[in-house]
Amino acid sequence: MAIVKLKKREIECKIVYYGPGRSGKTTNMEYIYKTYKKQVVGEMVSVDTEGDRTLFFDFLPMGLGQIKGFDIRLQVYTVPGQVQYRSTRKLVLKGVDGVIFVADSLTVRREKNMLSLKDLQHNLKEYGISILKIPFVMQHNKRDLAEQGVPVMSIEQMERDLNRQLKVPSFSASAITGDGVGATLKECLKLTLLSLKKQIKSG
Amino acid sequence: MGDFVLAGNLNFLSLGDILQLLGSNASSGVLRITSRYAQDLGLIYFHNGNPVNASVGSLAGLDAVNSLFGWLDGEFEFIEEKVDGENVIKKSRMQIILDCLRMLDDGQIEQLGPVTFTKKLFYPSDSLSNRPIIRGPLIDYTYVVDEEEVRAGNKVVAEGKHGGWLWVILEGTAEIIRETPRGPLKLLRIGEGAFIGSIASFLLLEGSVRSAAITAVNNVLLGVLDLRRLSADFLRMSNQFRSLLISLDKRLKQVTNMAVDIHLNNIKVEELINGKAQVFTQGENVESLFTITEGEAHVARNTENGYVPLANLYQGDFFGHVPFLDIGQEPYSASVFGSKDLKISEMDPDILKQEYNQFSSTFKNFIEHLANCILVTSMLACEFGKNTGRNV
Repeated sequence: MAIVKLKKREIECKIVYYGPGRSGKTTNMEYIYKTYKKQVVGEMVSVDTEGDRTLFFDFLPMGLGQIKGFDIRLQVYTVPGQVQYRSTRKLVLKGVDGVIFVADSLTVRREKNMLSLKDLQHNLKEYGISILKIPFVMQHNKRDLAEQGVPVMSIEQMERDLNRQLKVPSFSASAITGDGVGATLKECLKLTLLSLKKQIKSG
Repeated sequence: MGDFVLAGNLNFLSLGDILQLLGSNASSGVLRITSRYAQDLGLIYFHNGNPVNASVGSLAGLDAVNSLFGWLDGEFEFIEEKVDGENVIKKSRMQIILDCLRMLDDGQIEQLGPVTFTKKLFYPSDSLSNRPIIRGPLIDYTYVVDEEEVRAGNKVVAEGKHGGWLWVILEGTAEIIRETPRGPLKLLRIGEGAFIGSIASFLLLEGSVRSAAITAVNNVLLGVLDLRRLSADFLRMSNQFRSLLISLDKRLKQVTNMAVDIHLNNIKVEELINGKAQVFTQGENVESLFTITEGEAHVARNTENGYVPLANLYQGDFFGHVPFLDIGQEPYSASVFGSKDLKISEMDPDILKQEYNQFSSTFKNFIEHLANCILVTSMLACEFGKNTGRNV
């Protein structure tokens, strides 16, 4: 649940990029950080964890509107999936408002995607969050590799593998060129804000 | 110094959470952290929500913050005041939090609590250096009547010998070793604040045979405990509490025997639990506590490799939820199976808890240490079960 900061009249929400190692979570975040640099508050924090990186930055997107007169401030994170990074995961997933799952289109990473999704469900559950209820967006990343002749899975197959039960909005992307990165985040923000408004009304 | 504006327990709100909270509040002031497992006071200074300096013991600045992230158990209070002086810590708040949590998970920051895991839990088998070290809270010196030093490699007690002394480790680390037909088996490592000796020392009639050897890993300084005073404490307890403690002591011996048997591969869990009714199911949320008046019961943990036996309980033994202790067995982490003729009577945990609260800190520490040993030995038994590849 987002944090309402009365002093600054801000609502702080937490968006988390999740996905198997090297699927492009970091690339997604770096692209957002560069593109929206003016709106980013403070530095991007990067921590090297075994086989992956944890990133964090804080930003105030423009044109998102307000909720009950409060500005929206975003905290964007990636989270290391490896089992041993329990403390980091706990901190990042605590009170998460929206999740973006970055799936790897490479055929050889098919199983890694599925395992990571299952792992996400398990981790969210540990903090009392249902994967079916949280604002969730899927991104099929590295679509550009098909042009270079690298074997990638079809969108249909990836949807079948990962999105059959979730039925969440999904986007094709090439985070390296920035294609689809903004659209993914925007959709996640839209869902997150809708859910926040609902929570505030019913609360 | 101003009054505190925020206080609580690190168990509930971790240091990472506190840093975020003070950060988003842009607070200035001092965060004081105390833990009964540490001799020093931890201090972190904040200016506009950012940590600017810190100290604990001989550490200062970022090193102090890093080390404080390992305090998983402790109390904190935040005092709002103006903080002057140099910004020793230049790293951003979030960078500190994420870095420290990574180091904590990578085992680069020492964890402070009743059980210290050097890295991952029992990984890989057999190398003792990866076993956790069981420590106790700070020592109450009023119960220490003398000090003894044991040089590295020497025995503190020998297995099978009679002896009734009770010690507390003041400095250093020792390991608990059991003789087996396949050679000595290293079981646990104990450090500062851990107790050596058992409840049997208070039971004058039974005489006490040491059930395992304890060897000093490095130079160990022992505090000899005032046995007369502890015995007097023990004798003042209610009958019910005394039998609970005796049963707890037996439980440790039981789980240790089981662990050794599992290691030697000469135990069959089926023989213990087959045909017996499940009294408690692992994970069940029960708050009741029972004593066995007739029959027997068995405690076993359901793991990926099947059931691992942890203890056999007989007449006079307790089982269930003890509100002030975590022994890592039933009801949350193990199931209890009862024989057909099992008869039990219910105990009132609240009365026991009230009595426990009145004990001296040394006695409480002693009981807590016993519980921690049961908890870690239970994990060890399960680990042995995995290593011997037995599918029970």
